[in-house]
Amino acid sequence: MLHRLIAAIFFTALMLMSLSTASAQSVRPPANAVNQPDSEQERVGTSNTLGTQSQSDYWRALRHGKSGISTTGRNDGLLIQSQGEDWRLIRKQYILKYSGWVLVGVIALLVLFFLIRGRIRLKGGRSGKTISRFSLAHRTAHWFMASVFIMLAISGLLILLGRIALAPLIGKGAYAIMASAAMQGHNLFGPLFIIALIWLVWLFIPGNFLKMVDLKWLAKGGGLIGGHASAGHYNFGEKVWFWFVVIGGLAISVTGILLEFPWLVENLLFLQLSTIVHGIAAVGLIAFALGHIYIGTLGMEGALDSMTTGDVDINWAIEHHDLWYEEVTGKPINKSGEDSDDDSPGHAQVYTQSRS
Amino acid sequence: MSFLKFVEEPLFYFAAAVFLIGALWRVIGIIRIGRKPDLAPAKGSGTAGFIAGNLRHFVPRNIFAKRTWIHIIGGYGFHFGLFALLLFAAPHIKFFDERILGISWPALPRWGFIIAAQFAFAGLIMLWVRRFSDPVMRLIADWDDHISSWLTFLVMLTGCLALQESHDILKAIHMLFVDVWLIYFPFSRLMHAVTFFLSRGYTGATYGRKGMTL
Repeated sequence: MLHRLIAAIFFTALMLMSLSTASAQSVRPPANAVNQPDSEQERVGTSNTLGTQSQSDYWRALRHGKSGISTTGRNDGLLIQSQGEDWRLIRKQYILKYSGWVLVGVIALLVLFFLIRGRIRLKGGRSGKTISRFSLAHRTAHWFMASVFIMLAISGLLILLGRIALAPLIGKGAYAIMASAAMQGHNLFGPLFIIALIWLVWLFIPGNFLKMVDLKWLAKGGGLIGGHASAGHYNFGEKVWFWFVVIGGLAISVTGILLEFPWLVENLLFLQLSTIVHGIAAVGLIAFALGHIYIGTLGMEGALDSMTTGDVDINWAIEHHDLWYEEVTGKPINKSGEDSDDDSPGHAQVYTQSRS
Repeated sequence: MSFLKFVEEPLFYFAAAVFLIGALWRVIGIIRIGRKPDLAPAKGSGTAGFIAGNLRHFVPRNIFAKRTWIHIIGGYGFHFGLFALLLFAAPHIKFFDERILGISWPALPRWGFIIAAQFAFAGLIMLWVRRFSDPVMRLIADWDDHISSWLTFLVMLTGCLALQESHDILKAIHMLFVDVWLIYFPFSRLMHAVTFFLSRGYTGATYGRKGMTL
């Protein structure tokens, strides 16, 4: 009984507060601004549909931020924010229009690449000998990021593209339910992405700075043209992916925080820009991630081992990261691409060029 | 009968019965096994060892901390987060109050719920990743471990997806996974939630009788 009474008092107080706020922050135009005839009948016979004085000037002034007639709080003195229309058009005509096609295009390219190139197999087959490439901390950080990223990507794409891609198929009602769920999931997992990003950067940044050898790797197209391309612990492609994650992840994190806590900024323009940057960075990261997933699983034999067991076959290390292999084992690789060790199966515990 | 009503009432009561009877059956079964007679004279208290064994396992040992920090952080994050969600989420308290216990208690604010959920999810993901990444864990883990992890994940996920509380179907999906989880519980390693104190206590009591310091 008591809590009902308290609730009723609180609710009444809230109602009164909102009424008083509403009267203090009236957005009603001044009396002389409204000059349209009241009825359709009255309009007939006047010089134009707006009466003797056009309202265009009045609303144009509002659009351009005429002060004195507005609400209080955020965007004082601004009743209509003109950039909002630009934001809507950019979102509709570019982001919504093309982002889905970018992802479809990347998938199509990967399928085409696979059909032409096939799986990149180990030339010498598996040796049966392995060396450590990533520690348990590296693998956990990687899969933690991957899990969170997949959740965010699915929920984010549902929010971004669901209305145009899914709603016509499943109906607006069903999409409304999915969108509600996606929004909750996206907001929940968003902060975990920031933690995952910090952890990932801390562990993976050593060895990911560009070196001269990366340019040589690039010139040889990673081995697709011009023969074997030498690489250290990370090749040029992996380094680009890492820095793309860092920059894209930072952009997504900052804009995501602003979108989840909109009261952090006074200017609405920041929030509009945030939705655009957030969308572009997310679609870019998803597109890049598709390539990353492809090469790490279907595209290259032996690559996934480094992130499941943490160990890679020595032949894989020699073929794809020869400089790293030489560095961590101290054994030079001869011209035929083999080390001078015996052929017995085994495992070598080596130091990786990164934090453990 | 609506789908929501079905999963909240008949299916839930059936699942709860399976959960309670099954869990009780297994605990009683474990206790009835008893222990082998120890003919050696006791050098310490088995009861004290039982209690110490349970408490000591909550504190990570320094010599293993560097190797097990993922397990420790993940384990504590997940379990604390899960218990906070289970016991202090406003919709859960309402459910307990209206359908089971008839009493209510203060709920977490929404931001508290979100943070607890994030701890729980982060911890569960870390533990699951460790399960297939760590060479030892990979060897001892089987399908039951993975089903338990995924089922728990889906219960938590569907609950959080229904946070807006604006669509009955989302709530019904959450309840369906809760029911499945309750039914699966007694037949799986999820049982560790009620048997962990027995295994820790058994080890602790054995050591306690031998006079070993835990």
